[in-house]
Parts: sequence; structure tokens; C-alpha cells
Amino acid sequence: MRDLIDMWRNTRMVVLTAMSASLYAAILIPFKVLPIIPGVTELRPANAVPVVCSFLFGPAAAWGAAIGNIIGDFFGGIGPGDMFGFVGNFLYGFIPYRAWELLSDEDPVPRSAGAWIKFVFVVSIASSACAMTIGWGLNLLGFIPFRVLGNIVLFNNVAASLLLGPFLLSVIYPRAKRGRLLYRDVMPQRQRGRRTSRRAGLLVVAVAAIGGIVVGNLLSSGSWHPPFVPPSEGGTGAAAVGFGLLPVMVLLALGIVLI
Amino acid sequence: MPLFLYIERRSLLHRLHPTVKVFSMACFFVAAFVSEQPAASLPLALGIAALIHSAGAWPNVRRLRIIFMLVFVMTFAVWTLFYRGGEPWVRFGPAAISPTSMRFALGMAFKLVTFLGVGVVFLSTTKIEEFAYALTRVGMPYKLGFTMTLAFRLVPVFIDAAATVVQAQRCRGFDFDQGNLLQRMRRYVPVIVPVFMGALRRADGMAMALEARGFQSPKPRTTFERYEFTWRDAAVMASSLSVAALYLWLWQAGWTRVG
Repeated sequence: MRDLIDMWRNTRMVVLTAMSASLYAAILIPFKVLPIIPGVTELRPANAVPVVCSFLFGPAAAWGAAIGNIIGDFFGGIGPGDMFGFVGNFLYGFIPYRAWELLSDEDPVPRSAGAWIKFVFVVSIASSACAMTIGWGLNLLGFIPFRVLGNIVLFNNVAASLLLGPFLLSVIYPRAKRGRLLYRDVMPQRQRGRRTSRRAGLLVVAVAAIGGIVVGNLLSSGSWHPPFVPPSEGGTGAAAVGFGLLPVMVLLALGIVLI
Repeated sequence: MPLFLYIERRSLLHRLHPTVKVFSMACFFVAAFVSEQPAASLPLALGIAALIHSAGAWPNVRRLRIIFMLVFVMTFAVWTLFYRGGEPWVRFGPAAISPTSMRFALGMAFKLVTFLGVGVVFLSTTKIEEFAYALTRVGMPYKLGFTMTLAFRLVPVFIDAAATVVQAQRCRGFDFDQGNLLQRMRRYVPVIVPVFMGALRRADGMAMALEARGFQSPKPRTTFERYEFTWRDAAVMASSLSVAALYLWLWQAGWTRVG
């Protein structure tokens, strides 16, 4: 986690944060491919940007995705749910590069079957963590059910990242590497914990993120009511999803700290 | 058409201290948040409409009319189906429609449209620099605020770059709307790559320019903009707080709840 703070002392990383944020917003606004739920969400090529930027710019992309999401909100309206969008998008930009560092020493450009499996895994847990955070937050506020929003965000992120991410990385990554603009070159001295604990952290993040989507859907549809959640008669499911997913959110936070 | 919602005017709302604008927005969010009954949301919505009028923000409402409409319709549809409560009229698998669900859905649709309206008032009267200033006043680190401002300013640059590439590709006969979903997503790669590469080329120069202006200097910052806290700000703060307190009291008394 320290590099998320240390990067602010490096001017190039600050600039890369602004670049990631504005690229995300700039591609988000004009290019909308296919509406999924009109007015709520659509399949957007921009959702691949945080993942691509994460592999290129590391911690700068995590902050960039969070800020880029706020900029996107500034074009269409802001609300209390935006804080969850900030955190969710932050995780979407943070998890890919940290997970890839632990899984592979190769460049994050999937060419072999093994690299593809790792890439799909990394994208899936980053997308799930983002979808769970946003879905949990907005259902907690009672705005939209987890089983609607959580699944839409997950599908949107996974589809855009898997369809576009590998193509973009295959073109951009080698050029950024030659220009010494990768976060490894810009921030060569990065503090990292022990590899074993970081791997345990990745496992915890994966279990929490993917498990959280399943648990969130069960809670939101009323198919499961955990004993520690206070009983409620129907409604928005805010209490069930809010309290029921809280342990999973804590687990995710713990994994993020360890990773 | 301007990208951002800010409208250059000298209305009372425009001249308020940025921190007061953020505080008032938060108060209106609280008031809207605790209103579940459409009858409770209505006076607040009318108040927001008056603020929109006083800020001269109707052009932004017209600009976002599709979003206003879609948010209302989609929220109403989603909660009519997924709110759990009351005697159901019709069942569709896990979803059901009841008088209670429809009343709640209507209230929620009003609530989200009110949020959107509050956002429009805020964004129409607040520059991004003012927003960043207000956030730094309540504890956000300066560099994060600066990055947010920089990212906002870069968005039009990247949108212009993307539009140029799109035009160039169209001149070559490239059709972005051709093919199935997968093919259409992939057709954006030739647009995103040049925009990314342009951003990478700018990054180094921008970092050097920032350092040449003492970006990493530990000395206190100065700004061209000065914001004075006046009696008007105090009055607006007190009024906003009263609205939030009134709605919280109504909520506590159960007058704004459904079911």
C-alpha cells in the first residue's frame, strides 16, 4: 500500500495520474457502444482504460481511475453514491498491476495460454471487487438493488477489459516500456511486503471479490438471510446487503492491505 | 457545445464561498436521502427548481433532460419490480408488483431526480478549481486536488485528439458501427491507441514544467483566487442546515417513510 502514498512525491507519477484520469473520462464520454439499461449503463470501451493504465502506470492508475470516475460524474450529475464509485474504480485500477506482479514476471501482454489464464483471472477479480463495492454501496443507500447494478458493472468491466485490454496492451505496453514510462521505471524503489503474505493477500482478495458477488446476489434476491443480519420485512434489501456483505468488504480491505 | 456544466454568471449562488456550496449540497443530499414519500420529496424538488432558476441553470437541465427522464423511468421500473413489501398484484418469478412497491418506486425516482437536480445546481455554479479548493479546505491533500484539476483540464485535449483520429479513420472509410458487438468494440482500438500515445508523449514535458514551477516545494501554496467568507455564506449555510434538520426531523417522526 505504501506506493499509493509514496507516488505523490514523484512528479511524473502525479502527471501520469492526471493522464490516466483524463484518458478514462475522455474515452468514456464520446464512445458509447451499446446501451445495456438506457440511462443506467452501457457497454463502453473506456472501461478497459483503468486496467490498461494499471499495468502501465501502477499506483498512478489506481488514483487515476478514481478521479476519472469523478470527472465522468461531473458531465452527467453527482450524488451521494459517487463515493462508492470512487472507491470501486480505485480498486479496479489498483488490483491488476499488484496481482500481475505476484503471478508473473513477464510483461502483461497475454500471448501464451498461461498468460491468458492469468490475465482473465486478474481482470475478473479487479472487476468483481469494483462491482461488489459499487453494488454494495448503492444498495446500502437504497438506490438500486445489488443484483441489478453489481451484475451490470461486473459484466461491463469484464467485457471491455477482456475484449480491448489485450489489444491495447500489445500496442501500447512495448512503446511505454521503450519510453521508460512504466511505473517500474518511474518509481524504481518501491517498498513491498513479504511475497508470501502478498500472495495470501491476493488469495483473500480473490475469494472476497468473487465470493462477494455471489453472496451479494443471494442477499439482494432474498434467497439467503445470514443469522447475524437483523431481520427486516422486505424493502430495498439495504439492511440485508449492507450488513450481510460487510464481513466480505472487511475481508476485501484486509486482502488489499496485504497484497 | 461546452463539455462541462459550469455556466459563467454572477448570481448569488455563483458568488458563494466554495466550501459553503459543498456544505449546502451535502445538506440537500441529506434532505433528499431521507425522503421516501413522493409528497415529502415534492417541496424539496420545487426548492431545487427555484435554485436552478436563480442560478440560470435551465440550459443544463435541458441538456440533461434525457438523463433526468431515464433516471426517473428506470428507477421507477427497477423498484416497482424489486421492492419487497405489500400484497403483490402480479408476480414475475422473483419480482413482484404491489401498491407499496409502486409508491416506494415513485418516491425513489423523485429522490434520484432531486439528487440530479442538486448536482446540476452545484455543477452549474462551481468551477472545478473551486471544487478542488473546497475539498482541500476540508482536508483533501493539495496534490490530489491539483491532479483532479489538471485531469479536468486535459479532458477536452484528449477528446479533441480522439475526434481528430475518428475523422481521419472515417476519411479512410472506417465504419465504427459495423459488425457484431465484439467487432464494434475492437474497432475502437485504432482510436484509443493514438490518444494514449499522445498522452505518453506529453507526460514527460508536463512533469518537467511542473517541477520547474516548484511543484514539489514544501513551502505553503498561494493562489490567484481568493474566497472571502461573508454574511451571505453564513445565511446560506444556516438555511441549508435548517432544510436538512427539518427533513431529518420529519424522517424521525416517520412522515417521510413508505410502508
